[in-house]
Amino acid sequence: MKIGYSTLIRFSLAAAFSLLLAGCGQSTSTPQTASPPERSLKSTFTIGMSQCNLGEPWRVQMNEDIRKAADPQPGLTVVFKDAQNDTLKQRAHVEEFVSAGVDLLIISPKEAQPLTEPVAKAMNAGIPVIVLDRRLIGDRYTCFIGADNKKIGRAAGEWIKQKLGGKGTVVELKGLMTSTPGQDRHTGFREGIAGSAIEVIFEADMKWLEPDARKEMESALSRFNQIDLVYAHNDPGAHGAYLAAKAAGREKNMLFVGIDALPQEGVAYVSQGILSATLQYPTGGAEAIQTALKILKGESVPKEIVLGSRLFTKDNVATGGQVLP
Amino acid sequence: MTSPPPTVPLVRMTGIGKRFGNVSVLHDVSLEVFPREVLVLAGENGAGKSTLIKILGGVHTDFDGELEIDGRAARPRSPLEANSLGVAVIFQELSLIPSLSVADNIFLGRNLVRAGFVDDREQRAQSKRLLDRLGIDLDVDQRVEDLPVAQQQLVEIAKALAHESTVIVMDEPTSSLNAPEVEKLFGLIQQLKTDGCGIIYITHKMEEIARIADRITVLRDGRHIGTAPASDVPPDKLVSWMVGRDQDHQFPDRSARPGRTQLRLDRFSVLDETGRRPIVDSITLELHAGEILGLAGLQGSGTSELFLALFGGSNRRVQGQVFLNDGPLRIRNPRTAIRQGIALLTNDRKATGLVLPLSIIANCTLAALPRLSPGAWRRPGREEALTQSLGRSLNLRAASLHLEVGALSGGNQQKVALAKWLLTEPQVLMLDEPTRGIDVGAKREIYQLLDELTSRGIGILLITSELPELLALSDRILVLHRGRLTGEFTRSQATPERILEAAMGKIQSGL
Amino acid sequence: MSEPKTYSRLNAGRLWANPASRALFALLLVVLIGCIFNADGAFFKLGTHRDALRQSSVFGLLACGMTLVIIGGGIDLAVGSVLALVAVAFSLMSIHWGWSPWLCVPICLCLGAACGSASGCLASWWRIQPFIATLALMVFARGLAKTISGGMKVSTAVKNVDGTYRYVDVPALFRFIDSRILEGNLSVVTVIFVVCALATWIVLARHRWGRHLYAIGGNEEAARLSGVPVNFSKLSAYAASGLLAAVAGLCQAAQEQQGDPEAGGGYELTAIAMVVIGGTPLTGGRGGIGLTLLGVLTIGYLEKILSINAVPEASRLMLTGAIIVMAVLAQRKRRS
Repeated sequence: MKIGYSTLIRFSLAAAFSLLLAGCGQSTSTPQTASPPERSLKSTFTIGMSQCNLGEPWRVQMNEDIRKAADPQPGLTVVFKDAQNDTLKQRAHVEEFVSAGVDLLIISPKEAQPLTEPVAKAMNAGIPVIVLDRRLIGDRYTCFIGADNKKIGRAAGEWIKQKLGGKGTVVELKGLMTSTPGQDRHTGFREGIAGSAIEVIFEADMKWLEPDARKEMESALSRFNQIDLVYAHNDPGAHGAYLAAKAAGREKNMLFVGIDALPQEGVAYVSQGILSATLQYPTGGAEAIQTALKILKGESVPKEIVLGSRLFTKDNVATGGQVLP
Repeated sequence: MTSPPPTVPLVRMTGIGKRFGNVSVLHDVSLEVFPREVLVLAGENGAGKSTLIKILGGVHTDFDGELEIDGRAARPRSPLEANSLGVAVIFQELSLIPSLSVADNIFLGRNLVRAGFVDDREQRAQSKRLLDRLGIDLDVDQRVEDLPVAQQQLVEIAKALAHESTVIVMDEPTSSLNAPEVEKLFGLIQQLKTDGCGIIYITHKMEEIARIADRITVLRDGRHIGTAPASDVPPDKLVSWMVGRDQDHQFPDRSARPGRTQLRLDRFSVLDETGRRPIVDSITLELHAGEILGLAGLQGSGTSELFLALFGGSNRRVQGQVFLNDGPLRIRNPRTAIRQGIALLTNDRKATGLVLPLSIIANCTLAALPRLSPGAWRRPGREEALTQSLGRSLNLRAASLHLEVGALSGGNQQKVALAKWLLTEPQVLMLDEPTRGIDVGAKREIYQLLDELTSRGIGILLITSELPELLALSDRILVLHRGRLTGEFTRSQATPERILEAAMGKIQSGL
Repeated sequence: MSEPKTYSRLNAGRLWANPASRALFALLLVVLIGCIFNADGAFFKLGTHRDALRQSSVFGLLACGMTLVIIGGGIDLAVGSVLALVAVAFSLMSIHWGWSPWLCVPICLCLGAACGSASGCLASWWRIQPFIATLALMVFARGLAKTISGGMKVSTAVKNVDGTYRYVDVPALFRFIDSRILEGNLSVVTVIFVVCALATWIVLARHRWGRHLYAIGGNEEAARLSGVPVNFSKLSAYAASGLLAAVAGLCQAAQEQQGDPEAGGGYELTAIAMVVIGGTPLTGGRGGIGLTLLGVLTIGYLEKILSINAVPEASRLMLTGAIIVMAVLAQRKRRS
């Protein structure tokens, strides 16, 4: 079969394109060459970090927290790979880290089922694995670090119960109710306000999006004359609700509570007086590096570390919030 | 060449009639084909040849009359069914799938299957054998769209022959073939004859009829005029059968008032996609102001392509020079053509002439928009007024000018298309089949209009396949055959026979 | 031909044959549903209607641009991403760099038009299918938005070099766009939308270019052979769509008081749905802004009614999908 000019062009383009795609996993620093880790003798370590996506600012913050915790450590290099929310890509990243022979793997998986096996393989190859934020199936990993959304929701509910003096009308703006964080922050909240005279008069799914939260809040405002507090499952949602209330001139008549407490978002809103309170949904980035260092030094670490949360209000925002029990 | 035919024909069609709506296209037509013979089916454009073979090939299923294949009554309901009865039709419009390979096309619709999967290897092997048998040298894996048109035609022929048919119909098969390829085809036909096939061959090329016809059947205006052995029908008799004697005296008297030379072509050629074969070959002509210059030619003569290339609407390579009013003319696209005062009424109003979802006003004003809307903002009032007056002069019948053009009758649609070009106030008006699909009364109105336009100094280039119309309207007639000029006649010199002979290849001159 | 039908049947048939009547019927049906399911009278409050208009305005802007492109025989999938890109750029220039609105707004509009022109170039001169060309631009613009924003929202919390944050004021232009006029009964974004829709309507109905688009969508070859500048007209349609998407981006940024690189996700589909429900066929050559406005209101009010009745999310999706399908089926009964 004669290979024409056009076929040659097409083939080279395809080859170039696949090379490009393979490299698209955004390696920000060069990985070490493969060699079996002999930790006790080494003084420089490479950690592979597999992030499921960088579309959410919260995850950008997670990587940022990891970077901030790793930078001051001499001899510690972190290689970041972004799977762009593609499970297969994340699997490939894990396998690449294993064959590159990293000293430790940190992973925030997109889904539990497809990534359990590759992580187990990493463990078999002698690479310790720290799992962040979303769980895997079984126990083939070294340590899981995550926050408890239900606990945070409950804390929010209790703070609200106390702030409103046990009674009042509340609008709940929910995150995507098909996701676990949404469900947990909802059930936790309801547990928190249980036994009080607080009534949730309007609830809607705003899918974590600010414009949608604003839209739902407008509906709530047009229906109800008396709203005491708005509880949104994330800070953008609370902000959207605030803007809706502000446009109606009613923002001073109610309180707004959100979750996430990113420094440039929720914490900023609290400082500016937009939100009454926000609860931190910690990324666990700093804790991941601390735990990693312990592992690399050969110390033992707990199987599960549940991250604590902080409550930020106007009074304590400057001092870094109040640690929740 | 002739051999005593056996009594049972492979195909017998009797009393065939076909109408499209109110128009009768075939009336009481008969045809027979015997084994081991080539029957040439001849006739002018619009005589009904294509319709007849479409009935035989299972494309038109609704017709009057009887059809017998192999002595048994048959009414094929689809081309596939016709194939299974032993009839293979090779149409002018190629029925190949461009993105598939040669082998895939040969086995289109009847793939060889093994264990549920297409047996690619066997298909390719059989295709190769078939092509070898036919003496065609092609790579069976090549994609059809990568082949030049001439070779695509050979694939089409091979595809028809792959069905092991007994009756093979070929509609103008040599239109894209060069001389050696035509020889190969004729060799194939000889071989098929010896194998026992009967071949119906449609052509209007005199030289071909002379070479391969055993018998000839002539149609005219949808009727069967005569059938005879080829030796009994010499060329002049053939032409007179095709042309007939009927002349409708419904044309206005024209007093030719040709003025100065308006449009001049000097060795103008249009090349095909490969850039080598000319579709229009070195045409030199002159159009005078106020003159109607008729262009005659049968299928494949290149007349429509000439118009399209002059208008800037084709992306084919063009050679030669064009002069408008003694100044050189360089037209890159239809926009510049219109600006220079050249207009082209295409021969397919639905596909290339009108925008069917738009209103009558919108269609009428479309080409003249730059002139009617200075400063780019339209003036609906002016548009409507102009359309109204033009519609009146063309006797356009429509309930409202805001009606969608797609809802009009064919004749009215054609009037709208014509009106569109008249609104551009052209100097040179090229009309390609302007009275196609128009009733007699409307035709008369259009002839009147054309006469009036020429009195204003507009030069008209006219293509029409209706010989009477061509003869009555044209001040001069040029005839094209395969892209070349084969005849030039003044009004007094032109006769139907001479024109048809020139159209079929015999070089003529009125001098 | 058959005899004409009796007069009364012909009248109703002719009414239904008019796409504007069908779109209006759909809208009135939705309004009727709202009157019935009025959520304790909330549907009858003026504020509810003002809000329904406000939240439809951004989509409406996209739908206007989409109408132009669809009439010309194409489609524009990039509008949501262009919205995000402009929202981010606008926030960067206004909030972070403190540039004057006289500078920011024209730059943003040019940015939108440039993105649209890129789509148009690919779709017309390079003859890439509009679906693919605008899909490519959709991905590219989104990536560009994320790059220049660093993946984070560009808000009033500006990061200092030392990692702390300082808070700047929301620019006056933002506050103006997100404000209300007529004693709080009309949002400014609604006014912006109406003005843009009117401008588009006039251009489509009265400008030569509008007629060109209809011709190209109806029969591109016939249009070309009638002297219509096909490539230029198609490019302009995409450029206009990008421009309107930029206006939408400005409004979105103002209403969120930030530039979110993830904004506008899926908005192009809502815009297409609005155009389709209005009655402009996706095949091109027909339709208009008036029909699209009806479609905008229909979907906008439907969402509002679902919202004030606190209908759960899953049901909303199913209901909206069902209504889109019904609207499209109803459009089919044009000519038998």
